[in-house]
Amino acid sequence: MIHLDNVNLGYQHETVLKNINLEISKGEFVGIIGLSGAGKSTLLTSMIANVTITGGPYHVLGNNISTISSKKLREMRSRIGFIFQGYNLVNRLSVLHNVMSGMLKSISIQRAAIRHYSNADLEKAWEYMETVGIEQIAMKRCDELSGGQRQRVAIARALAQEAEILLADEPIAALDPKSAVQVMDILWRINEKYQVTIVSNLHHIDFAKSYCNRIVGVADQNIVFDGTAQQLTKETLERIYQTGMNNHLPSEEDTIPDTWSNIPSKHCPNINQFNPIPKVAA
Amino acid sequence: MNLAQLKKEASPFTFQYISPLVFLTLIFIISWQNTEMNLEGLFQGWHNMQSYMSGNPDIEGSSFFPPQVIGSDLRLYLDAMVETIEMAFVALILSIMIAFPLSLLASRNILTILFPRNSAFHRLMRHAIYGVSIFLANIFRSINEIIWALLFISAIGLGPMAGILALGIHTGGVLTKLLAEGNESIDPGPVEAIVATGASFPKVILYAVLPQTMPHFVSMVLYRFESDVRSASILGFVGAGGIGFFLFDKIRSFENSAVSTIIFIIVVTVWIIDKISAAIRRKYI
Repeated sequence: MIHLDNVNLGYQHETVLKNINLEISKGEFVGIIGLSGAGKSTLLTSMIANVTITGGPYHVLGNNISTISSKKLREMRSRIGFIFQGYNLVNRLSVLHNVMSGMLKSISIQRAAIRHYSNADLEKAWEYMETVGIEQIAMKRCDELSGGQRQRVAIARALAQEAEILLADEPIAALDPKSAVQVMDILWRINEKYQVTIVSNLHHIDFAKSYCNRIVGVADQNIVFDGTAQQLTKETLERIYQTGMNNHLPSEEDTIPDTWSNIPSKHCPNINQFNPIPKVAA
Repeated sequence: MNLAQLKKEASPFTFQYISPLVFLTLIFIISWQNTEMNLEGLFQGWHNMQSYMSGNPDIEGSSFFPPQVIGSDLRLYLDAMVETIEMAFVALILSIMIAFPLSLLASRNILTILFPRNSAFHRLMRHAIYGVSIFLANIFRSINEIIWALLFISAIGLGPMAGILALGIHTGGVLTKLLAEGNESIDPGPVEAIVATGASFPKVILYAVLPQTMPHFVSMVLYRFESDVRSASILGFVGAGGIGFFLFDKIRSFENSAVSTIIFIIVVTVWIIDKISAAIRRKYI
């Protein structure tokens, strides 16, 4: 699904990541970890061609995105959902309209202009809102919601895209521990239920270890680790977080307080064993 | 940085803070002198204004007070005021039709949605479209509505239509600038999110830009409507319809009590529009 072969990533006058090789297959749940500024977001946003790409080839969903045309890029982006740390919702619109904005590619301009959706589209939106537990607040404006609820709306929007890949940029960084667990549960559930490939930047190592079946560590402008949670040793973490410099490795105590003890164990045998997603009451 | 440096840099009495104040004061003083502003002249000539307002006791209706209340004339003025409001409303719709698309093209962030890449072609298109849009908006708004009215009167003759076109074009230019400023101050996050779904440009505008700019849009459009009613009251001076025709006629013939009546009608109308605008703003913002 995603294939980087000796790719450099960065911005107009700055290369952030060099000679990156990475292969992500369908159905994987990949967590990207690393220090702030290490290039996690650059790597993630490069997957929708939002950064300067040199070298390559860099294939996403069969397109070489370093040479892709604007039209093809738009078509490709419609197959990739993106979840932002700051949610990026239109706060003055209702939950429903925000979710529907994920379907804009398939809604006619006339319907979009007057926000009149077909029954089939509304049924789909209902299903996605139900999946993340926000169907009871469908007509509420997003500026009336909590951070956790907003992130669920953002996930439902990405689901409405019927995306094959879901990219999440620090999806739980701004959330309280309980909401963070709920959001990660939802992502895991989506990965299981819809077989959507998920790539997520995560600050909390323990969340990455609990939820992701593969972890990619970024440091020194490169990928320094690519493997499973079990393979992630203390030495590797020290290298990723460059703790030799300041002798401070984010330990379990640092990243997850005691109250965060309800993180489900990795690789739940089936979806029904997840924490039930609490419905948001109207 | 040490504490002494911090104290120095945090002080409000630095060149950086004081120089704009000194500069503005200097410009004010120079402008005051060059324009021969003189408060003494106003105080000395105060009684002239008083005698102008109280009029000639020998000529009936030459005083501003009391305002003239003649049923048939009042009906005529009220009809003209309604025509003025209608002119302002049609002009407002016309100006929105000009300003809405033009303001999108005069906003750098919106052009980045249309031409997102850093290639020479996309950069050129962004600069060219922005430049042309701003240029057009500047022409529309820097020419006063009276001048536009004279131009349109020469083409289509006397009457409200010339006034409507004049107001529409001028307000179109003003609204373009105001709406573009609103467009440029939106949160880029939702735009980024909708663009990332692969939505086309019009859909990004409909779902990410318009909902964010709507409070500003409503506020500016209502303000311009109120402003258009005031301007339309003057356009009659050059024969472009509305209550201004009667106002100009009565001023020229020194029928000042009738002038008072007309001014009173305009003031009350603008006051009512302001109240209605405030209620609409409260609902939308």
